[in-house]
Amino acid sequence: MQALRGVSFDLRAGEVHALLGENGAGKSTLIKIITGAHQPDGGTIEIDGRQIAHLTPAVAHQLGIACIYQQPALFPDLTVTENIGIRLEDTRPFACVKWTTRRQHAAELLQRIGADISPDAEVRSLSMPEQQLVEIACAIGAGARIVIMDEPTASLTQQEVGLLFAVVRELRQSGVGVIYISHRLEEIFELADRVTVLRDGETVGTRAVKCRTGFQPVAADSHEFAQTDDRQDACPTLTETELIRLMVGREVSNIYPPAESDAGDVVLSLKNLSCAAGGVKNVSLDLRAGEIVGLAGLIGAGRTELARVLFGITPADEGEMLLYGKLVTINSPQDAIAHGIGYVPEDRRRHGVILEMPIAHNVTMAIHRRLFPRIWIRSEAERSLTLEYINNLDVKTSGPAAAAGSLSGGNQQKIALARWLATKPKLLILDEPTQGVDVGAKSEIHKIIRRLAKEGLAVLMISSDLPEIVGMSDRVAVMRSGTIVEILPGGSDSHEVMAAALGQRKELNRRDAETRRTVT
Amino acid sequence: MKRYFRELSVAAVLFGLLLLLAVLAPHFFDPQPLLSRMTAAAPKLVLACGVALVIICRQIDISIGSLFAVCGTCAGLATAAGTPFPIAILIAIVVGLVGGAFNGFLIATLRLPSIVVTLATMVTWREALRLFQQGVFINLPPGTEWFGLPMTAGQWTVCAVAIVLVVVLSYVLKNVAAGRFIYAVGSDAEAARLAGIRPQLVTFLVFAVMGALTGLAAVLNMVQSPQVDPNTGRGLELEAIAAAVVGGVAISGGRGKLWGVFAGLLLLVCIGPALTYVGVKPYWEKAIQGTIILVAIVADGVRSKKEGNRR
Amino acid sequence: MNADKHRWKNILARHETILVILLVIEICYFQLAGIRFGTADNEANIVRHSVEIGLLALVMTPIILTGGIDLSVGSMLGLCAVLFGKFWRDAGMPPWLAGFCTIGIGAMCGGFNALLITRLRLPPLIVTLGTFSLFRGLAEAITRGVDAFTEFPDSFLSLGNGTIWGLPTQAWILLAVAIFVWLLVHRTTFGRSARAIGFSPEGARYAGLPVERRLATAYILAGVVVAIASLTYTSRLGTAKADAGFGYELLAITAVVLGGTSIFGGVGSVHGTLLGVAALAVLTNGLTRVPATMNMAGELSGVLTGVLLIVALAAGSLPKLIRLLRRRSRSKPA
Repeated sequence: MQALRGVSFDLRAGEVHALLGENGAGKSTLIKIITGAHQPDGGTIEIDGRQIAHLTPAVAHQLGIACIYQQPALFPDLTVTENIGIRLEDTRPFACVKWTTRRQHAAELLQRIGADISPDAEVRSLSMPEQQLVEIACAIGAGARIVIMDEPTASLTQQEVGLLFAVVRELRQSGVGVIYISHRLEEIFELADRVTVLRDGETVGTRAVKCRTGFQPVAADSHEFAQTDDRQDACPTLTETELIRLMVGREVSNIYPPAESDAGDVVLSLKNLSCAAGGVKNVSLDLRAGEIVGLAGLIGAGRTELARVLFGITPADEGEMLLYGKLVTINSPQDAIAHGIGYVPEDRRRHGVILEMPIAHNVTMAIHRRLFPRIWIRSEAERSLTLEYINNLDVKTSGPAAAAGSLSGGNQQKIALARWLATKPKLLILDEPTQGVDVGAKSEIHKIIRRLAKEGLAVLMISSDLPEIVGMSDRVAVMRSGTIVEILPGGSDSHEVMAAALGQRKELNRRDAETRRTVT
Repeated sequence: MKRYFRELSVAAVLFGLLLLLAVLAPHFFDPQPLLSRMTAAAPKLVLACGVALVIICRQIDISIGSLFAVCGTCAGLATAAGTPFPIAILIAIVVGLVGGAFNGFLIATLRLPSIVVTLATMVTWREALRLFQQGVFINLPPGTEWFGLPMTAGQWTVCAVAIVLVVVLSYVLKNVAAGRFIYAVGSDAEAARLAGIRPQLVTFLVFAVMGALTGLAAVLNMVQSPQVDPNTGRGLELEAIAAAVVGGVAISGGRGKLWGVFAGLLLLVCIGPALTYVGVKPYWEKAIQGTIILVAIVADGVRSKKEGNRR
Repeated sequence: MNADKHRWKNILARHETILVILLVIEICYFQLAGIRFGTADNEANIVRHSVEIGLLALVMTPIILTGGIDLSVGSMLGLCAVLFGKFWRDAGMPPWLAGFCTIGIGAMCGGFNALLITRLRLPPLIVTLGTFSLFRGLAEAITRGVDAFTEFPDSFLSLGNGTIWGLPTQAWILLAVAIFVWLLVHRTTFGRSARAIGFSPEGARYAGLPVERRLATAYILAGVVVAIASLTYTSRLGTAKADAGFGYELLAITAVVLGGTSIFGGVGSVHGTLLGVAALAVLTNGLTRVPATMNMAGELSGVLTGVLLIVALAAGSLPKLIRLLRRRSRSKPA
C-alpha cells in the first residue's frame, strides 16, 4: 500500500510547523522519511538548500534532525545526567566518564529548556512529560536544528502541557525548526506558526496560523511576531472551521449499508465509569440491542482504554456497569465473556488472533468452556463450527487448519470477529475493525456489522475513520481526554464529529447547537 | 538516599548481624579465624562481582561453578607439569575467558536464552572434567601454596587481590564508558542501540569477562591448599548469584552496585557461623541461603510490580 | 502463504524423523559394539533408569510450551524423596500413605512456584532458580546433610524393581503419565491454552483464556509428577538421600528440547519429548556396554547430553538468526 504520494513540506528555522491529519493520513510515514528510518520512492529532500541523496538515521542525526516520540527511549534505571550523557558523548568504550562535567552539562541543558528536573533523578521516577523534556534536552544537546515532536501532549495534563509549550517556544526563539504533530486544535492555534494538513497521504495545504478569527493571539513577544509576519506572506491564513474542513475533506458517500433496525432494550448502561490506570474518567453511555454506537475520537482520547475497561483487561475502579439493568462487575476477560461481551481488539496481529495457530483454534479460543464442556477438544465440532464461520463471513482460506498468519489482513480480521461471534455475545466491541484492510474486505466487514446489529446485537464500534463512523453508526459518541464529550445522532456531519473530537471551543459548539435548535 | 535503599538495607542487616555476633560470640572476631574465613570467601567475591556484571546486563550465568573447576584443574596440571606459576595463573584466566566467550557467543550471536545455554555448558564442562581427570586430585609443587608466602601473608594477599579487584571493577563500572554500557544494555537494550551502543557485543564481552574472572577466582582458590580438587565449585554459581541478588542487583537488569554485592556476600558468609553460634545446625545453611535468595527475588518482584502499577 | 504452515509441519515431522533415525543409529551401534546390549535384562534396565527423567521431561513439556521453564524439578525430587523417607520411617506411616503425602508435598512445591510466577509476575526462570536452591537446602536440612533412609519394605521396593506383565513396574507408571500428559497437551483445552500462552501471552489474555490458572496448573502438575518420580526413584535405589535427582532438571530440559519443543514456547509435542528421553536413555546405557567407554560412561554421556542440548538449541534458533540477518542486510542498502 502506498502511504504517501506527493507530499510537499517545508520547515523554516525558528518556526513551529504543525502537521495535522486524521489517523492514517501519512504523518508517521513522513516522519520516518525525515528521520531516515524509511526511504522515499521518489522526490527530494533538501536541508539548508542542499539536496540529501540518501537520508539514513545516522545522516539525519549528523544533520541535526531529532525526533521526540510519545514513548521516550530512555534508560529507566539510570539518572537524568547519565541518560543525557550516554546520548551525547561519543561511544568510545574506554573513555572515562567525567561525572561532574556531565552533570553540569545536563543541568545546563535542562535549564536551557526551562525544565525543573534534578539531574540526579532516576528516569524511572520521572513523569511522562518530564521524560519528554529529558529527550528534548538530549536533542538540544546534540545540536538539533530540526526537532520533530510526535503528539508530545497525548498523555500530559494541562499543567504539563504548559510547561512543554514554554520549552517549544524557547526552542523556536533559539532558531530551531520544530515539526509539531498534534490532534489538539487549540494547541496548534496556540503554538504553531504554520500548519500543513495531510490527508490520504497527500498534502492538502499549508496555511499560516497567526491571523485567526475568534482567537486571542498567544502571549508572545512582538519581536517574534514581526519576524514571523514577514515570512508568512505567501500562505493564506486560516480559521478553525477551515482547518477541520481541510482535514476531513471528502463528504460521506453512501457506500455504507443503511440502518435497518430500530434500537431495542438497553443492553449495557455505563454510569460514571472511571479507571485511573487506563485514563478513563466519568464515562456514561447506554448501549441498546440492535444499535451501532460509533466511538469517535483521536488517538489517545481513551477509546481503546474504555474498551479495555468494559472487557475487564484493566477493570474499572469507579462507577457502575448495568447489564440489562443488573449491576455487574467485570474484573477479567473471562467475566466479560460470561456476561456476553466480546471485544475485537485494535492490534490484530498481537491481540486479535494468534498468528502461529490454525484458524480453527483461533475461532474457538473464547468458547472452550461451551464447545468443549468436558475439556476434550472435539475436532469435528470445532471444524464444522469454523467452517460455518468461514462460509458465513466469506473468509478466503484453504481451510480451518491453515495458520491465521497465512491470511490477508481482512481475512484475519474476519477470524478475529468470528472468535467473538462464536461466543454469541450481547454486546460486541469492535476496535478499528477495518484498519489495514483493503477496500473490498472493508465493505464486507461493514455489511457483517450491519447484519449483526439487525440480528439484535449491541455494537460499540471504535474507529478513526470518520466516514466509517458517521456512515455506520446509529449514534456517535465522541471521546476526548478520557471521557465522552458529546453524543451525536447517526449521519451527523463529519465536521461536527471532528470538531467535537478536536475539542473545538465549547462556545462555538454551543452556538452551533443553538442555531440548530432555532432551525428546528 | 532512595537510590541506594537496597544496598543500604543490606549493609544495615550486615551491621546488625555483626553487632549480634559481637555480643553473642565475640570469638567470631578473633583475627586468625576471621582472616581464614575471609580468605575462603575471596574467590566467591570475585565470582559474585562477575555474576553481578552479567545480571546487570540482564542475563544469567550458572556455568561458572563448573568453569571454576576447569580453570583450577588446568592451572593445577600446568603447575604440576613444571610451568612457572605466573604462566599457570595466566592459563587459568585464558581458559576462563575462552569458556565465558563460548557462552557469550551462543547467547549474543545465536540469541539463545542464557539460562539454558549456561545450564548446558555447566554440565558439559563438569562432565568433561570428570572424564578427563577422573576425580583425581592434583598435587601442587611446594611454593605455590599461598604464592610461596607464609600463610598469613598469603591470606592477606588473597584477600587484597579480591578487594582490589572489587575496587577496580567498581571504578570501571561507575566511571568508564564501557561500564556504563552494561547498565544501559541491561536497562533497555533497544534504547542502548538507539544511543549507538551495540548490545550484542556488550553482552558477549560481559560473558567473556565473567569467564576471565572465574579463572582468577580459581587461582585464588588454588593457592589456598597444596592440592587441586577437580570436583570443586559445585553450587558456587548459586552462592555468587545469591550474593549479587541479595546485594541489590536487580534481576530485571540495569541496576546494582558492587559494594552492595560485597555486603551481600559478607552477609551470606557470616550468616552460617552466626547461626551456629546461635545454635542452629549447620545443615540448615543451604535452606536459609535459598530462603534469603527467594526473599530478595520476591522483594524485587514486589517493587517492580508497584512501579508497574504506578506507570 | 499457505506454505508457511506446511513448512512448520515439515520441520516438526523432520525433527521427529531425525530423532527416530538418531535412535536407530544408537541402537544399531550399541548392538554391534556393545556387550549384552540387546538382552531383555538390559532393555528392562534402560527402561527402569529412564523412568524418572521421563516423568520429569513429560511434565516439563507443557511448562516449556507456555514459554516457561522449571529448574527446580531436580531439587523438588530430592525434597520429596527425603520427605517420603521421613513420613515412612519417622512418622510411622505405611508406604502407601507416605506416598500420598509425598504427592501432596509435590503439589505444594509446584503450587509455591506457581504462586510466585502468577501472582508476582516474576519470570519462571528466576523463581525456579530460587526454589531450586531452597528445595535442595530443605532436603539437606531434613536429613541433617548425612541421613539416608533405607530398608524400605519389599512391597515398596517392588515398585522400582519388580515387574508386571513382563514390564518393569515403574514403566507402567511412566506409560500412564505419558498417556495422561499426551492427552492433556494434544487433546484438551489445557494444551490448546498452553500453546496459545507460549505463542503470545497477551493474545491469550485478549482471547479470554484464564492465563494464570493455566500456568498454575502446569507448575502444580509438575510438582505432583515429580513427587511420583521421587517414589520410583527411592524404590529403585532403595535409599532416599538429600542428593536425589541432582542435575535431573538439565536432563529433563535436554530431552524436551531435543524432542523438538521450542524453548520460546508454543511449538512442541509430547511424543517428541518421549523420543528425546529414549535417545538420551539409550545413549547413557549404551555407553556402559561398549568396552571402550565402559569405564567413563557416566561422564561421557554427561558431556554428550550437554553438547546435544547446545546443538539442538542452536539448530532451533538458526532459522530465526538467518531471518534476522537477512532482514538486516535488506534494511541496510550498500
